[in-house]
Formats: sequence, structure tokens, C-alpha cells
Amino acid sequence: MADAGASPAPKPSSSVKLVLLGEAAVGKSSLVMRFVNNDFQENKEPTIGAAFLTQKCNLPTRTIKFEIWDTAGQERFASLAPMYYRNAQAALVVYDITKSTSLTKAQHWVAELQRQASPGIVIALVGNKLDLASPSSSSADDADGGDGGDEEADEGDARKVPTKTAKAYAEEEGLLFFETSAKTGERVAEVFTAIANAIPETQLKGPRGAAGGQRQEESRVNLGAAKDASAKEGCAC
Amino acid sequence: MFNLSSIVQKAQQLIDPALTAPTERKPSKSALFRLQFRLPETQNPLQEITAELTLSAQRTTEGTHLIERDRDRARGNRYVGKLHLSEHYMCFSTQASSYLSTASTANSTSFTGQTHGSGPAGNGFTLPLCAIRRVERLHSQNTAFSLAITTSNGFSDHSKQGTTDAPQRLVMQLAGSRQQCDRFCDGLKKGLRAGMRDVENLRKVVGLSYSEYHLADEAAKDGKKELIPTREAPDTGLGSIFRYPGDSRKLRDKAKMRLWKEYMRENGRNATLIRQPTFHKLIRVGLPNRLRGEIWELSSGSFYLRLQNPDLYVQTLSKYSGQESLAIDEIEKDLNRSLPEYPGFQSEEGIGRLRRVLTAYSWTNEDVGYCQAMNIVVAALLIYTSEVQAFYLLSVLCDRLLPGYYSQTMYGTLLDQRVFESLVEKTMPILWDHVQKSDVQLSIVSLPWFLSLYINSMPLVFAFRVLDVFFLEGPKVLFQIGLAILRINGEELLDASDDGAFISVLKDYFSRLEDSAHPKSENPKLRAVTRFQELMVVAFKEFAGITQDTISKQRSAHKEVVLENIENFAKRTSIRNLGPESKKLSLADLGFLYDRFYGVLYDRQQRSQTIQDESERKAKAGKSKAQQLVTGIPAADDVEVGRVALGASTTQMDYDAFREFLVGVARWAVADTQSPSHDLEKQSYFTNSTRSRSISMSPWGAGPDPADDEFIRRLFRKWDVDEYKSLSLQNVVVGFAKVKGARDIMSTIAYFFDLYDDDNDGKVDRDGILKMSEALLFLGRRGFVTSALASPSQTPIQNGASPRLDKNPQRTTSKDEEFLSAVSSFIRRCFEYADADNAHAIQMAKNAAAEESATASSLADFSIGGDEEDDDLVDLTSDSIPLTPTTPRQTSTSPIMSSPSQLMNLPPMPSETKPNTHAANAALDPANPLFITLPTFRMLVLADETLEHFFDTDFVNSFHLADQPVDSTASSSSNLTTFANLGKGFQRPNLGAPALSLPASGGVVPPGKGLRGMLDNIVTDGMRVATEVRRRMEEAQRELDSASTPGGAGSSTHKDDEDDEEDDHRTIDDVNADRRSVREGDRDLLEGLEAAELDGSDAGSVGKVENLMDAGLTSPVRSSRASTSSERTGNGIVEFER
Ligand SMILES: Nc1nc2c(ncn2[C@@H]2O[C@H](COP(=O)(O)OP(=O)(O)OP(=O)(O)O)[C@@H](O)[C@H]2O)c(=O)[nH]1
Ligand SMILES: [Mg+2]
Repeated sequence: MADAGASPAPKPSSSVKLVLLGEAAVGKSSLVMRFVNNDFQENKEPTIGAAFLTQKCNLPTRTIKFEIWDTAGQERFASLAPMYYRNAQAALVVYDITKSTSLTKAQHWVAELQRQASPGIVIALVGNKLDLASPSSSSADDADGGDGGDEEADEGDARKVPTKTAKAYAEEEGLLFFETSAKTGERVAEVFTAIANAIPETQLKGPRGAAGGQRQEESRVNLGAAKDASAKEGCAC
Repeated sequence: MFNLSSIVQKAQQLIDPALTAPTERKPSKSALFRLQFRLPETQNPLQEITAELTLSAQRTTEGTHLIERDRDRARGNRYVGKLHLSEHYMCFSTQASSYLSTASTANSTSFTGQTHGSGPAGNGFTLPLCAIRRVERLHSQNTAFSLAITTSNGFSDHSKQGTTDAPQRLVMQLAGSRQQCDRFCDGLKKGLRAGMRDVENLRKVVGLSYSEYHLADEAAKDGKKELIPTREAPDTGLGSIFRYPGDSRKLRDKAKMRLWKEYMRENGRNATLIRQPTFHKLIRVGLPNRLRGEIWELSSGSFYLRLQNPDLYVQTLSKYSGQESLAIDEIEKDLNRSLPEYPGFQSEEGIGRLRRVLTAYSWTNEDVGYCQAMNIVVAALLIYTSEVQAFYLLSVLCDRLLPGYYSQTMYGTLLDQRVFESLVEKTMPILWDHVQKSDVQLSIVSLPWFLSLYINSMPLVFAFRVLDVFFLEGPKVLFQIGLAILRINGEELLDASDDGAFISVLKDYFSRLEDSAHPKSENPKLRAVTRFQELMVVAFKEFAGITQDTISKQRSAHKEVVLENIENFAKRTSIRNLGPESKKLSLADLGFLYDRFYGVLYDRQQRSQTIQDESERKAKAGKSKAQQLVTGIPAADDVEVGRVALGASTTQMDYDAFREFLVGVARWAVADTQSPSHDLEKQSYFTNSTRSRSISMSPWGAGPDPADDEFIRRLFRKWDVDEYKSLSLQNVVVGFAKVKGARDIMSTIAYFFDLYDDDNDGKVDRDGILKMSEALLFLGRRGFVTSALASPSQTPIQNGASPRLDKNPQRTTSKDEEFLSAVSSFIRRCFEYADADNAHAIQMAKNAAAEESATASSLADFSIGGDEEDDDLVDLTSDSIPLTPTTPRQTSTSPIMSSPSQLMNLPPMPSETKPNTHAANAALDPANPLFITLPTFRMLVLADETLEHFFDTDFVNSFHLADQPVDSTASSSSNLTTFANLGKGFQRPNLGAPALSLPASGGVVPPGKGLRGMLDNIVTDGMRVATEVRRRMEEAQRELDSASTPGGAGSSTHKDDEDDEEDDHRTIDDVNADRRSVREGDRDLLEGLEAAELDGSDAGSVGKVENLMDAGLTSPVRSSRASTSSERTGNGIVEFER
């Protein structure tokens, strides 16, 4: 019961259901693993159906407990998705910056969420595998926007989706936008923090089954919470 | 929309209960036979006879280990059962089976024993005839008819060089009349002769089996080494290279191997294995590593598939080598993500095998292709099997054991989740309540269990133990294990109040499967029972009541809802993803196009299949029926092939399908002459034929024959932007978006022009001009709805009659005639201005502008350009028809001409007046090339009010999507769906007038869906049939009234050409109502079933399940009770393992 007794004045805590969607192998599970366990695994098995994890995120004024539903990416699993995004307050729609089709798929998901998910759902568009792009190509030279053939020649840069393209789309649709690397951990925590901040206060409800009080599982799953409690405005990882 | 066929069937049953043809039931025995013995589709039960099997003990006579207690065995075991003969197999089972000639699907399941037709239950054998070496008639002491069967065991290649094994011999004593016995023997003889051909296959397959090698190897160790050519051990999977999972000592692998060897010595191996009770027990305790693959093959029946076509795997790989596919891309993505912790899959060897098996399968079943989770399953199989074995196992998995699991829509997976949930609800109501209350998504834990067969949920060693039983006993095992897991963790799960807690309880449980189930027990034996053993006991003892039959029934009960959810999702998604162009159409239109598109495709698919299978129709129908009975899921070739949710493969529409599609969209797309088969069809519909039969009568199914016109062809080509010679839904939608979403008349004119601008040079030549005019006439030959709605010219076209725009000669200024005349002027002016200069064009424009302000119909009042050839060639609106050389008078007198060649004698038309024409009009001289450009065309159109109107509204409106005006029909439509109104409808014969669904409203079908269609047929078919039908309807109505079921059952030979929005809503309501009532009914049935089973043989265990469950979840008594039961049975297992 560490987190129950640790803080003298417990901040209000609420849980947020977050769903991850996106094409197969873009790195959804890897992002979650980075966020929850601060770990990365090179050959991650595909998610079958969906996986469920939780992680806390400490904001200055409140604590948010993410209930993360990580879904399977293959096209045919799409019909299972409604089961998982039902009641979600936030969604991470992930694409792979080295694969342009994955952005198209992400756009489909965004459209699906906008029409079918709970109204007011906070959606973040995340381009993953940033480590595969050469640093210069990310935001520096996105002006040229050319995702033409010359990028193949550039050994260090497998980027196929220019930051600009995705960002423009995100702005148009009113999405949060990030480029991350689950492998290096770059900007992963920021995504979750931003989502936590973007959830309107009014949307927040107490942890489910509040009557039950602190549950054992929380302290067990939420490994990083205590140690990073000092973090001013970041998630606990 | 997509379940129309089932609605029709339902309706049919209402109309005539006798139509549920008894003929469909008989063949079910074939399917059940195949399922019982796990035989390939090619096998049918030809003969059957009661018989007694005596297993002689002579095989061990020279065995050194024959000891006293084996005396009994030495005298041989005797089993009474049924002996069956199929084309290539002789099968025997002590479990009575279902295919007595009197058996029907209704009662057959009660005969199929423990596995309910899904697996080789009981004791017996499945013997390929080619594995029989000799059959002798024994002249025994009594008059009994006995056959001694010697199998090829002991005669195979290596054994020639000597083994300790004598040939395997079994004695069958047939119990039947002399005649029956003789008949059976004749059949057997024939089969044996035919079986000679397969001996080579058998040798090939058996040569790769480990049992064969192992037994021979043992023989070698017995001291005859020099005689045995050193043979390479057959491939027994990656495990033989990279080690098998688990500690083989802990698994007691050696001991198991010994037991199996002993068993196989006495009972044959691979093809000739005989199942005795020990066989089932040996499987329950877990298979030894090196035999695992082979026994999986035998118990799942994939062995028989391989025997039938041993080279399919290699052939498939080489046939498609180098080819690419979506499936291959997807497979590639996951190769490194399949059991990555197992060393075999960190090597190229393992990855290569995985790639080849998945790829080969994706080619043999392109509907499934590749689905994530298959990689994990196949990776697991490959640890114990060779590539070839894994390939056939995968086939059996996808086709038979996990129907629909890995399909495009994964409907099987979703369905079984629903089934699982309902079983949880039934067997553990308290837990279920808790799950519901705390809003836990049960499937988040259970879906991966089913989809990857527990492989990535449990530690591998245990997952394989589950697989061992699963292959033998079928899909119910997955449910039993799942229920047992929840049961065992019931108390902790009741404390878990959200998904996270739920998941971690189970994760935790799986990680401790190896631990003792009773760590604190005093009894060391009890302490030795692992939690996994406990799981098995709970699964198979406490949940023994969960049978294949239970599963099938549950599947049927939930099927509709699941399929509909999928369809709604698929529709929504695919509509949303049609691209930006589609935004020009309303959602309702898109929905309409979606339904119509797939409706036509599936209809056609089904029809062509029916036509194709006409000869074997009965057999097929029966088979799928039985298949459905057993699995609860329609077989692939069932009538329900036409459902999006079942993941049908067709997504492309060819030209013919497009024509049919258009029939439901535009009235001009209906052919003028209808094939006569429609009449036949309707008769057969009401007499003795099933619906599928009637479909096959006409290549266009129930709808009217579609027209085949140059214009339709051009439209098709234009929309086929990828030049695939077929259209996707996207193509169609974009096509419509271009037409319907045209901003103004200008773009419509340009669009039309483009259709005829073949080489895209902005010019349409003489031929093109003629074709344009033909198209205009074609499109206009039935009038247009905008005008048609206002005028009575909607008179439907009679069957086989030529189109008449208006039969009323006095109405000389009808819109239709105006149109004709407009077209004729158009042609003339086209040629006039074909190579017109600018001056002409400008003048024309002026005239056109002037014309716009002029009042309508008096075409004769206006002239263009004032040039020398200024008279209208054909002027139908005025009585004074100018006699010019190019317009033979007789053509202009009839308003029903449908070709411009009749309006003018034009070059492409073979005609004796040609020279004359040329002389008269230089523009028509083929030697004098000419063309019009878009601006010219535009001006010509704008110069004519009728044409202008045509391009402004008529053309666009001639395509009817969901925007179909429903004013006249909407009010009555909602009433039409019930049988109560049917009578009323019938009394208004005019309702039936648009007989061939050439509806007044331009092909978009009248409301009332099938019912209306049926009415139509009734009327068309005449009073006799009608009266009869009405009588039946009323009967049905009475029944329905008493059951207070809304009669959503539309029945019709008409199909999906009836999709206006109004309809859609109503249909969904109906289906909902329907569904609700079905489920109520089914639940009752199920309760009935449960009750029945309680009375039956399983009563004890089922009763116990109920008790334990409630006790278990409410009071602490549970754990002690549960442990007593597991103690008891657990001991049994433990003891056996020693
Ligand atoms: N280089 C690089 N590789 C990554 C990154 N994130 C994930 N990967 C790799 O991409 C592959 C797929 O990662 P997953 O996290 O399993 O992808 P997923 O989106 O969960 O895939 P599905 O479960 O099939 O939908 C794995 O091999 C990861 O190692 C990243 O940031 N950089
Ligand atoms: Mg994943």
C-alpha cells in the first residue's frame, strides 16, 4: 500500500482509459512497454486481440492512472477494435515514420474514432521509430518534404513520412502530434503526459470501483510510481 | 440485406413446412462420418455393418516381455461396434455413429458419443484400405462370418529385413445377414483393389513417420543391426535440433515413449493404429516429444489429408515460388515475432520453416491468407512436426477445428467469444454477474486463449498438453479449459474489480501452473498434483457437460448477432475509407451503394456456385447442413456464402456483375427483352424446389435481365480506372461521385463527352457521335423519373415486350417524343457543326442563349445558324416533316425507334441508301474525317432545351441511390412487412404490377422487400398460386400471431434490388425483432438441452458442476470440495503416469 500511505496529502487521482490503435508492427506494444516498464524488446510478439496494462502519470495537481488497451494491428483484427475503444477517453493512434501506408491506416483510425468513439476523446497521433530517421531529417529539413527516392540512398535515414505531412494532418484534425522512438525512449513519456494534460478535468472520474479502496494490483503493476513521484510535470517513468 | 437468403428460407418454411426437404438430411451422415473419423472431404460412408473386433495377441507371442498379467490381452480384446467402409477407408468404432440410413440431423448428435461427431471417439480404427495387405475369410467353428485382416505393418520396407514384429492382424466378425456380409465383402474387395493405387502414397507418408523409424530402430538394437540400412531419423520438428521445451526428465518423456512403443507394438502405428482405451489415456497424460507430431496428425486427421495428397506442400511452394502477395508481406513482418524466446526461432532454419509453412498455406487458402496468431500456432507446431506435417495440421485447424477464426473478418473468433461468455454465464452465474457489474471485458483475456490455443498464455509445456487433447477431442477442449481456468480462480476473480486486476490474477495463475495444487496437504500424493493437473481435471471432469453439441448450439444461437455486428462495422469502415471523392455522396447513398454492390456480388457468387454444383447439389447442401449442425457455423459452401461477415473473397465486380448492379440503380439498365426463365423460376419457387434451385434457372437470379449496351460498357471502362477489367466498391463509388456529385450541367456534359472521347484528345469522331446519340436514346428510352413521376408514362415494361415510351399516339408532345426529337436534331447538328469554324460556334452560342429564353416545346420555332441545311432532319413535334434525302420518312413516323441509324441512314449502318446519303451530306462521308470538340458538344446540348434538361437533371437523376423519392410508397411501406398486411397488399393487385421489379421508380425497388417481391410473383403467376399462397400465409399469420412474432420473413425471388433507405430501417428493425425472439426461443431450447443432459449419462458430472459452482463462488466450502474431487481424479492421472 505504498502509494496510499506515502504522500501526506494525496493528490486527486483518476483513471483514464486509453486505447492504442495503428497498423501492425508500428510499435504500439513497444511504446506501451517503454512507458510502463521503461524497457524495449527487439522482437516483440504481435499482440493477439489486445493487451491491457496500467501506469500512473503524476501531474502537478493530480495523478492520472492510465488503463492502457493495446490492440492488435493487423487489418482483420479491426473488427475487434470497437470492443476495446468503447468508453475510451484517450487514444494513441500510432504509425511508423518509415512506412507511409501506416499513416494512411492511422488516418482511418482517426476517422473511425471521431465518429464512433466517445465524444470528446483525446486523440494523439504518434509517428514511431524516430530512431530510424536521421536526426536532420526529422524537423530540420522537413521543408523540402520530398519523400522521393533519394531517401533510399541515404543509409541513415529510412524516413518515409515527413514530419510536416503528418503534423499538418494532425493540426487539421485537432490531434496531439508527436514523433517518438520506443527503442530509445525519445519523447515517449511526453506523449502520455500531454494526453494526461489534455483530458478535461470534467471528464475525469475517480478510479473505478472507488468503494473498494486501494487495490493490491495497483501497487504491483505501477512499478515506477513511487520513485518518480518527485517529477514535476512528467509521467512516472 | 445479406441475410436475405436465410430470410427467404425461413419464409419458405412458413409457406410450406414440407419444403424443409427431407432429402437434405440424409447426406448429413457423410459429414458426420467424416467428422467422426476425421476423414477428408472425399470420403463417404458406403457400407456399414455391426461387427465385433478381436485384437489377436499373436503380435506379442514371441515378445519376451509377455508376462502373466497380460494373459487377458494375449487372448485378445473384443469390441463390438460398427464397421464402416468408405472409398478409401475402413473404419471401426465402438461408439455408435449417426449415419444409419434412418438418422436425421435432428437426432444424430445423440449418437455421436463423447466427442459428438468431432473426433475419433471410442475404440476402433481408421484404416486406409491401402494399408491392408490381406483379407481372409475365416471358417470358424460356428457359422459366423469372420474376416481376418492383415495390415501392411510388419511388411514395410525395413521390416522385410526382419523385425521382431509379426504382421498385424485383426479379426472382424460381421454380424449381419448373409446377404449383408456378402455385400460388405464385395465393397471391401472393390475398395482394396482401388486402394492398390495409393500404396505408393502410403509408403511415402509412412516412411517419414517417427513411429515406423522408432520401432525399426528398436529392432536394430535387438541385435539385427547389420541388416538395417542406417536410416536418417525422420524430421520430428525443430525440437530435435534446438531441444524440446521443458525438462524431459520431469516430463517423463522416456517413460511415455516406452508406453507408446508398447502400445504401438500391439496396436499398430501411424496408418494402422488401433484405438483402445489406453490410447486416449496416453494422450491425456501428454505425448512424448518425438511422437507428438505424429499423434497430432492422427488424432486431428491431418494425416489422412497428407495421405491423400502427400506432395501438395512441396508443389504449392514451387508453384508459387517468387510470387508476392499481401499475406506474404504480413507473414514477413511477423517471422521474427513468433515464439522469439525459443532458440529455434532465433535461427534461419526455424524462421525459414515458419515462412514456408505459412506461405504455402496462404496460397492454398487465399480467403484466409495469413492472420496474426497463426504465426504463433505454426511456430509451436514446428517444434514437434516437420514442415509438411505442420502444413496439413494448419489446414485442419483452419478448416475444421477453428472455423472462421483466422478468416478475414475473424467471425469465428468473435462468435466463440460470445459462446464462451454465454457458457460462463450459464456455468458460473455469480462470476458472470461480477464481470458484468465491474464492466470487465472477459474476451480481453479469453480471446488470445482461443486464437492462439493457449500457446502464448500458458508456459509452452502446458500449452502443448492442451493441444494434445484438443487435436483428439476437438474445439470443445478450448472451452473446457477456459471455463476451468475461471472456475479455479473464481474467488480471486471475484475480488478483481477491473480489467487490470482480472488480467493480473490470471497472469499470476499461469505463471504458477507447475506448482503444487495443494502445497499444504499432508498427503504427499496430493501435494504432487500440480496446478496444471488440477486444471485438466476440472476441465474434463467438472465441465464434461460441455460437448461439441453444446458449442454448436450456442454458435447457432449467437451467430446472427455476431455476423451483424461485423457487417455493420465492415460497412461503416469501408464506407469511411472510400476516399475523398466519396464525400460527394451522402452517407445514405454510400450505404446504399455498399449494400447493392456486395449484394450483387454475393448473389452472383452464390448463383454461379449453385449452377456449377447443380449436379452434386443435394450432396452439397446436405453436407454443409450437417457441417453447420456440428460446428454451428455454416460451411463455406453453404447458402450463406454471401455474407460480408463470413469474409467472402469477392470484392471486385466484373462487367456482368456491373450490369446487374445497375439494374438496381437505373431503369435504363434493364434489358428490353427478358429471358423466359423467370416464369419457370417462379413456378419452381412455389412448388417443390428450394430457393437455390430456382436461382440457378436464370443467370441473373431473380432480378430482371440487365441490358448490355455500349453505354454501360463505356461507363464500366471509365470507372475501371486501374484497368483491372473489374470494379471495386471504391471504383463504383468514385464513379457515382463523379456523376452524382457533378457541380453543374457543364461538368455533366463534359463527363458525358469524355465517355466518348476514346483517345482523350478532346475530340469525338463520327463514330463517337453516333454512339453518343445511341446512348442518349438508350438512356431515354424509358423516360426519366423526374418527368415520369409526374406523368403516367411509368407503365412498366411487360415481360418480353419491347420498350414503349408511350403507347398513346395522341400524346404527340409527350416528353418522350420531345426527347427523341431532341436527339435527332442533336445528331443532325453534330454533323453540321462537326468541323464548324469559330464563327459558327459563336453564332450558335448566341442562338442557344436566345433559345434559353424562348418557351419550350416548339422546336420547330427555332433554328440554328440559319445556314443552308437548316431544317430539322426529323421533327417530331411538328406535323410538317420535311422530306430531305437523309431522312426517310418512315423512320420519323414512329416514335419508338431506338437507334439513330433509324433516324438517319448513317455510314456505320449497312444500308443501301449509303451512297445516297453521302451525296446528300458531305458531313456523312466517311472519307471526310470529322469530329466535335467539347465546346461544340456543349453548345449543341445547350442549344436544345430537352437536352439541356437531360444533362442538367435527368441524366444525373437516372441513377437512383438512396435519395430515391419515396413519397408515394413511404407511407405504406412500413405496413408491408408484416404478414398481416400481406393479405391487404394482395387485394390491391396493382401493387404487383411492376412484375419484374422494373419498378416505376427507376429500378430502385419497391418497399416491402421480399414480401413485395413475393406479391409480385403471386400476381404474375396468377390467381391459382396466389390463392394457395394466401391460404398458407394466413396459416402462417395465425401461427405468427399466436407466437406474437413479427414476421420479418420476406421471401422473394427478387433480391437486393430493393434498397431504399426506408427499407433499410425497417429491415433492421425486423431483424432485431427477429433476433430477439430467436434468442429467447433458443435459450429455452438450451435449457431444455441442459435438462436433457442432466437426465442423461452425464448427469452426475453436470450436476456436480452446478453444485460446485454455486458453492464455490459463494462460500469457502468450495475449495475443499473442489480439491476432493481433484484429489480423486487427480490421483487417477498421477497413478497412470507411473
Ligand atoms: N527501430 C525501432 N523499432 C521499433 C520501435 N518500436 C517498435 N519497434 C520494432 O517494431 C516491431 C513491432 O513492434 P510492436 O511493438 O510489436 O508493434 P505493434 O504495433 O504492437 O504490432 P502489433 O501488435 O502486431 O499490432 C518490433 O520488432 C519492435 O522491435 C522503434 O521505436 N524503433
Ligand atoms: Mg502489439
